[in-house]
Amino acid sequence: MNNSLFIDVGSYQKQKNGEDCYGDTIYSKKIPEERRVISILSDGLGSGVKANILSSMTTRMAMKFMEDNADLLRSSEIMMDALPICQTRKISYATFSIVDSELEGKTRIFEMDNPHFIFIRNNKSLSIKGRKFSSPKWKERAINASQIMTQPEDRIILISDGVTQAGIGNQKYPLGWGRQGCIDYILKEIQKDPRISSQTLAQKIVEEALNKEIGKKAGDDISCICIYFRIPRKLLVLTGPPFDEDKDHEFAELVSDYDGKVAICGGTTANIVERELCLKCQIDKTSFDTQIPMSSIMEGVDLVTEGILTLTDAYRMLKEGIDRKSNVASVRLVNLLLSSDKIDFVVGTKINIAHQDPNLPMELEIRRNIVKKIFRLLQSRYLKEISVRYL
Amino acid sequence: MEKIKIKICCGTSCFVMGSAQIQVLEFAPPADIADKIEIEESRCMNYCKNTTAKYNRGPFVLVNGELIEEANFEKVVNKVREILNQEK
Repeated sequence: MNNSLFIDVGSYQKQKNGEDCYGDTIYSKKIPEERRVISILSDGLGSGVKANILSSMTTRMAMKFMEDNADLLRSSEIMMDALPICQTRKISYATFSIVDSELEGKTRIFEMDNPHFIFIRNNKSLSIKGRKFSSPKWKERAINASQIMTQPEDRIILISDGVTQAGIGNQKYPLGWGRQGCIDYILKEIQKDPRISSQTLAQKIVEEALNKEIGKKAGDDISCICIYFRIPRKLLVLTGPPFDEDKDHEFAELVSDYDGKVAICGGTTANIVERELCLKCQIDKTSFDTQIPMSSIMEGVDLVTEGILTLTDAYRMLKEGIDRKSNVASVRLVNLLLSSDKIDFVVGTKINIAHQDPNLPMELEIRRNIVKKIFRLLQSRYLKEISVRYL
Repeated sequence: MEKIKIKICCGTSCFVMGSAQIQVLEFAPPADIADKIEIEESRCMNYCKNTTAKYNRGPFVLVNGELIEEANFEKVVNKVREILNQEK
């Protein structure tokens, strides 16, 4: 099925003021063979190391049970039994919220004692009625189960009580920021930027909660997971001239036929596309840098850069973080890669003999190798969907 | 008077061999030629491939259509001054 959604998961946390580690734990996992994404947020009793142990035990156990499709009631009993008992409070306790999403659209949510999840569709917060149940052993700990058929542009947001109780006790928010306050803020942010990524939104929510606190000191662990269901953002990366010159036209037509963004990495590659499609391509002088060749502007193409040097630098920055100005060609390429969900590489395998001259002062990779390194990193670290074709 | 056209190749091999240093002409040209030149950067001009020379002779720069091999800042500036002197 090709109409499946892409699930963009992002999270952000802030620990309680004065603590070294987080008392809440966030854990997300993709199961590609079942086309599922599971995200879990757990809040451990208290704060600091003790809470961290409780919450991380809970998330790890819950993840294992969810992956195995185990019975939830039985699993939660096991989890509650397994948690160590706090010496001061004489109870064992950690909350959890679990979101189990299938790419085809069905999403199940299980919650115990966390603030109720926030569900946003068409820029409105909808309340979802769940089913409550509890095990005979732990009657006071009810689990709330809900199910949603997700649509593109839906968002699910999980927050810990550190968010809803932010600012509690001060004059402006005597009862804390509250779930409604948080919803109003989220809706405002989505209205400002309807395509805001999950990572940015989660960070904004946590920072806004922190702003409510007296002296910006977190009174409790503040955590947020955002899940954003969207139609995959596609990107075509064309690099290198085709081995067989007769295929130049077929190669160039990939650009005009593509239903997404397009990046061309390679001077000769750009020349081929320019020639075959009769497009105008001009150097963009605003991207000048002493180490990376300038990018160009071509109609219908989102980015045109030089090949090997830019790709090598982009790979380095994907690994180590962006350390150049935002107008530089390689930074633009990295940003384009990171903002896409599904990336199709088409690699022309013709080798430029001039690059193999041993007198060249810098290590110049063979194109196939550097592309392989880049897409492996995008797959493993950034969870992107990648396809590669050699021409 | 028509400006002297300088076309700098910014293809991969020319770039690593120093064409970025020649691009400085655009931002900080010597005063005597500053208003007499017009600079254009180009993607690979194919001189590195269509050559009979054994080794790469880049960076390649065209000054008024005349090819300069193994170009550098001085070579290009000298060439420009030479043309200016001829015109006088």
